[in-house]
Amino acid sequence: MTGLPPGSLAHEVAGSTVVMLPQRALWLPEHETVLVADLHWGKAAAFRAAHVPVPVGTTASDLARLSIVLESTRAQRLVVLGDLLHARSGRHADTLDVIAGWRARHAAVHMLLVRGNHDLHAGDPPPELDIACTSAPWRAGSFVGVHEPEPHAAGYVLAGHWHPHVTLRGRGRTSTRLPAFAFGPSVGILPAFSSFTGGGMYEPRPDDDLFVIADDEVLALT
Amino acid sequence: MTPRDPVEDWFARRGWAPFDFQREVWDAYTRGESGLIHAATGTGKTYAAFLGAVQEALAEMRSAQAPSRKPRRRAEASPLRVLWLTPLRALAGDTEQALRLPVEELGMPWTVESRTGDTSSAQRARQRERLPSVLVTTPESLSLLLCRDDHARLFADLRCVVVDEWHELLSTKRGVQVELGLARLRALCPHLRIWGVSATLGNLDEAADTLLGTDSTGTPHPHSHPRPRRIVRGVVPKAVEVEALVPETMDRFPWAGHLNTKLLPEVMRRLEEASSAIVFTNTRSQCEIWFQSLIAANPDWFAFTALHHGSLSRAQREDVEDGLRTGRYRVVVATSSLDLGVDFAPVDLVMQIGSPKGVARLLQRAGRSGHGPGRVSRIVCVPTHAFELVEVAAARAAIAAGRIESRDPLDRPLDLLAQHLVTLALGGGFTRDAVMTELRSTRAYRQLSDEELDWVLEFVTHGGTALRAYPEYAKVHCVDGVYRVTDRRVAQRHLLNIGTIVSDHAIAVQYLSGRRLGTIEESFVARLSPGDKFFFAGTALEFVRMRDLTAWVRKAKGHVGAVPRWMGARMPLSTELAAAVRTTLEQARTGTFATPEMEAVRPVLETQAQRSAIPRPDELLIERTETRDGHHLFVYPFEGRLVHEGLAALWAYRLAQFTPLSFSFSCNDYGFELLSPEPAPLTEALEHGLLSTEHLLHDITNALNAAELARRQFREVARVAGLVFSGFPGQNKSTRQLQASSSLLYDVFVNHDPHNLLVAQARREVLERQLESSRLGRVLERLARSTVRVVDVERPTPLAFPLMIDMTRAKLSTEKLADRVRRMTVAAEKPTRSGVASVFRLGGGSP
Repeated sequence: MTGLPPGSLAHEVAGSTVVMLPQRALWLPEHETVLVADLHWGKAAAFRAAHVPVPVGTTASDLARLSIVLESTRAQRLVVLGDLLHARSGRHADTLDVIAGWRARHAAVHMLLVRGNHDLHAGDPPPELDIACTSAPWRAGSFVGVHEPEPHAAGYVLAGHWHPHVTLRGRGRTSTRLPAFAFGPSVGILPAFSSFTGGGMYEPRPDDDLFVIADDEVLALT
Repeated sequence: MTPRDPVEDWFARRGWAPFDFQREVWDAYTRGESGLIHAATGTGKTYAAFLGAVQEALAEMRSAQAPSRKPRRRAEASPLRVLWLTPLRALAGDTEQALRLPVEELGMPWTVESRTGDTSSAQRARQRERLPSVLVTTPESLSLLLCRDDHARLFADLRCVVVDEWHELLSTKRGVQVELGLARLRALCPHLRIWGVSATLGNLDEAADTLLGTDSTGTPHPHSHPRPRRIVRGVVPKAVEVEALVPETMDRFPWAGHLNTKLLPEVMRRLEEASSAIVFTNTRSQCEIWFQSLIAANPDWFAFTALHHGSLSRAQREDVEDGLRTGRYRVVVATSSLDLGVDFAPVDLVMQIGSPKGVARLLQRAGRSGHGPGRVSRIVCVPTHAFELVEVAAARAAIAAGRIESRDPLDRPLDLLAQHLVTLALGGGFTRDAVMTELRSTRAYRQLSDEELDWVLEFVTHGGTALRAYPEYAKVHCVDGVYRVTDRRVAQRHLLNIGTIVSDHAIAVQYLSGRRLGTIEESFVARLSPGDKFFFAGTALEFVRMRDLTAWVRKAKGHVGAVPRWMGARMPLSTELAAAVRTTLEQARTGTFATPEMEAVRPVLETQAQRSAIPRPDELLIERTETRDGHHLFVYPFEGRLVHEGLAALWAYRLAQFTPLSFSFSCNDYGFELLSPEPAPLTEALEHGLLSTEHLLHDITNALNAAELARRQFREVARVAGLVFSGFPGQNKSTRQLQASSSLLYDVFVNHDPHNLLVAQARREVLERQLESSRLGRVLERLARSTVRVVDVERPTPLAFPLMIDMTRAKLSTEKLADRVRRMTVAAEKPTRSGVASVFRLGGGSP
């Protein structure tokens, strides 16, 4: 396929093409939609609220990365598969200002949050951000977008929550641990978008198709 | 005529006679001097350090005609006069008893109590009202006392501070915590006398300066201590005999590892001859394994054999110590947890499993046996692999030559300074200039710059640049030049954080029926599934579930596999012992096998000579080979593990400058291994400055970043500075949104606040402490003068083998990540558990 964003990789899932981007996002060209999961906006602010001096700039640099995704795909719609805001204490005015500035830059993009476990505690984004919120699965074609990766009768599930990472080993006893996309028979899991999150509880299963993000490239493991 | 001294009288009544060095310390104390006492254990150091203060109080009472009688009520007793700091809270109880004896028998109006993490809350409440006359406590508890805003009143009558086992604290952050605490006390009590008690060290002068304070020129600081300092040597150390158990044949004796129990029958035979024995191990896992092996070999031994290590519950440790003293336990398998403290008089045999690691350490452990006049301290070393025989022979030679290790004090750790400034802000507040004077009176911060202090002040007030936009979240507030803490939550968290300098994330182990057994590390629990069995506290346990930071267990039946491993278990060979090993090997190379140990290890050394070579002192041996794993380089500088870590990173970095290359490397006390998928350009690099000291700092700094060594060190720095917070007890759920690993935080700092001094400190700590960069330069100079001898070997040599099988490896790469990943395969996330095998291989399809 030509015209793919640099470093990205296309994959067939449930009869449709999905494109994995090295910025930790999934593009569905047929639906002109970008999916991301586990953004954890304001996580550093939540730390600061608890007197832990984490530097400013984590949310802003994540937003810049998301802008690259929206601009390179020219997507009409952004769907967040849960955990948009990290915690109630992270809803600091400065952080929300930065987010508002970013939202204005992508005013034409329709944005939707499918709520996850953190969103229940942190609350929905302020209405002026114009991000629609739902607890129901997002549906498009054969895809069902949710936060927690559980199979769904209505179609192929795309989800987040697990922050998948894969450990790779090579000759010379080298090893490295990288964020990954994992597509199983009925559920596909996205890596956490936030750069301020660690690995999760994901363990590779033999029938998962795995793709790792090596800096600015998505690579397939077969 | 002056009346006879009551302390001397008391000695006489007990049938003792003071040693000369005890009188020397008492007299020096009376003249207002401070100092350091060094001696072997069990030779009257405690009373040397304590009774000067007792004499002083008795003299005061005589002149004031005060009634010298026991106080009827606590409130009638003298306020705090003597503060006794001990590194291990387990020692506090015994020390308290030893100090109480003369106080009671001399009928003094003094109370003697301890205050540690183990002290009951009722006792704490009483102490909150009024401290005892003599307080035995830990460095952490002293910091907690300094957090009280009335601490100046608490210490108003303090005359004497004794720091026990100072050598144990000296080169640690807890030692710096003591330095800072003492600086505060010196400022509060101008007539304070400070005495340290230490084992013999190679740098006693420096140890005394660190305890008593110096200025930047190294001379005693005008604000630190007004009186001359004195170093007093205790009674002459007992003679020490070092012996090794020599395997009958080396044929099946391993070349590596530390868990081998092949010599168990011989060990048991020796133990049977002894009336009471301590078997020292180097790690807690080793301790559990040897205890199990002894019981398995003869179940009757269960009745009189016990184990003792720092992760066991206090109740169990106290039971074992008591049993050793009374003879209820004849054999105790222990780690360094029994190195310190009061004596176990009946012990007449000490064994050391595995490498002695250091000369001073071996002496200290040997000193655990043979109490009583004229008796010899004897230690029997039990090698777990062949080269440990060389180490025993080398240690004996070093003892004979009197080469004892130094312990280097730390230089201005800013994480601890950040913690201490919050302590002072809580404890009534401080001004910048006063705190600077006080800080510079310590050796650790004698060269603290204005920029550094201002950065740390900024860090605790605004969180550095990070929090400048968030004034309402500041920890410490500065009002009219006085720094104070006003937020109660900040205070509460700080108090919990103070004790965390030493403790890693520990998980309690507890029976479902209620009894607590001790603690294991979170990383070990993380690998357990319900039903898994493991050995801990000498018992076979079954893991039931994990809840509330506790691993719940029940007694297990049937086959048991795992023994927990604790972090930080590997200790490097000391510089002195490493040098002694080089000398001993040189004797072997020239055909001298002067001791039974060297005679025993001879066939192994001959194999080494035959497959490769035993390097001459002026030679650097490099062995090269290829296996399924890749291309190996084995390099043997014999400089001890720490220097080898630095050298390995440096070499990997320099070699990978010639061509993009990925290395994994392992290190031990003899050398290091570099392993790469492609051959490393060794010849080319040797010709172009692989051993050069030019650009050393630049190269080592880059190597450090590339190998991500600073990221590991940041773990400790983040914890001490209060960046990582494990939560309030019983409140774990509400703090879950605040969980982030220190390595994640490290990335955030590097990307968003690159000039953060705590990140800089993590780098500096790796350079100075872990890689010993100053020594690294000297080692490189020595190696640059050496003849390099490269040998291509067909089979791994005895020297190479332990490096080859070592799975703890650091990494360094100059290849593009994607190129490297293309050659890799997926590994199971939890390699110890069976289940998902690594069935993935990297395929095509990438653009």
